[in-house]
Amino acid sequence: MSLPQQQHEPADEIVPAVRIRDLRKAYGAFEVLKGVSLDANDGDVVSILGSSGSGKSTMLRCINMLETPTGGEVSIGGETIRMKQTKAGPKPADRAQVDRLRAHVGMVFQSFNLWSHKTVLENVIEAPLHVQGRSRAECVEEAKELLAKVGIGDKLNHYPIHLSGGQQQRAAIARALGQRPRVMLFDEPTSALDPELVGEVLKVMRALAEEGRTMLVVTHEMGFAREVSSKVVFLHKGVVEEEGRPDKVFSSSRSERLRQFLMR
Amino acid sequence: MDFSFFLSAFLRLLPGVPLTLQLAFVSVGLGMVLALILALLRLSRIRPFEWIARAYIFLFRSTPLLVQIFLIYYGLSQFPTVRYSVLWPILRQPYWCAIIALALNTAAYGSEIIRGGLRSVPEGQIEAARACGMSRITVFRRIVLPLAIRQALPAYGNEIILMVKATALASVITMMEITGLAAKLISESYRAVEVFVVAGSIYLIINYVITRVIHLLEYWLTPHLRSVSTPVVIEREDAA
Amino acid sequence: MNDFGVMTVFSFAPGGWGAAMAAASAMTIAVAMAGFIAGAIIGTFGAWAKISGGRIVRSVADGYTTVLRGIPDLLVIYLFYFGSSAVLTPIGRFFGANGFLSLPAFFAGCLAIAIVSGAYHTEVFRGAYQVVALGEIDAAYATGMSRALAFRRIIAPLTLRFALPGLANIWQLVLKESSLISVTGLVEILRQSQIGAGSTKQPFTFFLAAAILYLLISSASGWLLQFAERHFTRGLRRG
Repeated sequence: MSLPQQQHEPADEIVPAVRIRDLRKAYGAFEVLKGVSLDANDGDVVSILGSSGSGKSTMLRCINMLETPTGGEVSIGGETIRMKQTKAGPKPADRAQVDRLRAHVGMVFQSFNLWSHKTVLENVIEAPLHVQGRSRAECVEEAKELLAKVGIGDKLNHYPIHLSGGQQQRAAIARALGQRPRVMLFDEPTSALDPELVGEVLKVMRALAEEGRTMLVVTHEMGFAREVSSKVVFLHKGVVEEEGRPDKVFSSSRSERLRQFLMR
Repeated sequence: MDFSFFLSAFLRLLPGVPLTLQLAFVSVGLGMVLALILALLRLSRIRPFEWIARAYIFLFRSTPLLVQIFLIYYGLSQFPTVRYSVLWPILRQPYWCAIIALALNTAAYGSEIIRGGLRSVPEGQIEAARACGMSRITVFRRIVLPLAIRQALPAYGNEIILMVKATALASVITMMEITGLAAKLISESYRAVEVFVVAGSIYLIINYVITRVIHLLEYWLTPHLRSVSTPVVIEREDAA
Repeated sequence: MNDFGVMTVFSFAPGGWGAAMAAASAMTIAVAMAGFIAGAIIGTFGAWAKISGGRIVRSVADGYTTVLRGIPDLLVIYLFYFGSSAVLTPIGRFFGANGFLSLPAFFAGCLAIAIVSGAYHTEVFRGAYQVVALGEIDAAYATGMSRALAFRRIIAPLTLRFALPGLANIWQLVLKESSLISVTGLVEILRQSQIGAGSTKQPFTFFLAAAILYLLISSASGWLLQFAERHFTRGLRRG
């Protein structure tokens, strides 16, 4: 994969794919994130758990600046997103930098967010074609492979509205893969699905993890977190309450809150 | 800026206001009766009646009002039978021709608004009235119509404003209402912009007043939608 | 009136009014279309002003739509037809032209229709933009699209699709509005009918013909627009 590698880092130091330092986000007086730090190395699958309102989705959306953090630092592939102070709070200093970094961060949303006026195939080739400027033939070729891989190779020319939720989410995963992402962000990818459709999406995500993809997954699927992820992070009221390898976190968690959360 | 001209223009246009209001309200009034009849025909479930109403609405909504005005004012005089009929004293007057055209026109739009209102009355409330032993006519008069009027009022208010604007077309058949006087003043003074500002302001004031009155009417007619208790100010807890 | 009256009056042969009425219909369509398109451009800026303008820009746009909703369209036509001469005549005199200058009736008419329909376009585009799912816009930015690219590839096409029914309504309105331009002397359907009515002394025949022409144009374009809507919104509808 062609990745935006940082040239100036010493060769022996590991450059994290995503690095978050002291991330803060407040809406008015209400602080959603109160200083969160997190590293994800290439090949890591990080599951982010927490009850609703814990700030886990906000954190994920701060990584690609869909939400603008009010404090702290985000680096992708070793490149730190530059911020500037404005009267209305901090803003990215360079929109072009954000756009460039986003181009290699794939995002899968809870409500799929496929572009409704484009067919499945058009959804997948849109960004590679118009953002990354690759050739149409190459994009189409790759999109067909990706759609076959997520199991909807026969739905190329369907509009999203004519697919089931599970099929739409798999199309959205293919769209993210089409960006040739260095990191993939999953924001509760199965929460909007009917229970019987959850499995088909999780199966695709497991396959991606096995390929060695770098994934940050906000999820309520404990099975996925336990069996697939290399690291689990538990957020509570805007801070990291606990983090570690899943076997440790799930079997012997120190946090009373996490134990309560897992019991539900 | 020449304020004395604005003032004199205002005084020249003011006498047009009563005529504008007359044209608007008489035609809206007549049009409303016709609109109700059309809406009832349309909902009558009697095929020929439905068809007549549909055709009427289609014809009047897909042709320009000015063409309708010309057809009535200039067109009818083509037929000797009309010219020698008892109606001729009315049909030769631009005032009545304007009112007839405006009324026929607004009836087509109004009937669709009323139809929407009538259809919005919940079936359950009609059944409840039937269950009390009300006759069909009583149900319509006491239950359906009042509910439909409340539902249709905002849209009908909008239609009244459109009609006030439409009265300007009467100036084309020599009526000296606001726009007629404005056109005359422009041709005398060559000061189109100033006259436009003055005439436009008068229309805006009229329409503003009408909007307020409709809002008041809505308020009076919908006591059941007003909150009973005094509004509670919800104080936000300090989010921790 | 004899039985063959109507046929001979509107024949395309010399002395008939058929060709003149057809040309007038073309003029109606041309002036309505030009006004509609210019109005759409105004509406795009108006909607943009209302959605993302600062306080001043927003209140200018609000003022524009409120004022246009409250004043007769005929008054706007008079403003542009006669008002243009107030501006152009002194300029003409400066360059040595004598007498009375004004905008050509076609241009003044287009401008008036554009200003009037621009207010409707503003509301239609704004309403349509508000229906576009925020998630789809998020998804566009998430793939690294710049604002301009996201607008061009995602936001504008989606907004336009949601705006189609409203735009069809505006078109029907504009088509009827265009008859008011006859007061400036532009020879569109209604003006041509007035000319014919005057010279043949058959006003009813000619104004009825005008009504039928408007009816035909409105029905035909309505049918075309419905077809276009069905085509462009096939991704937005189930089944």
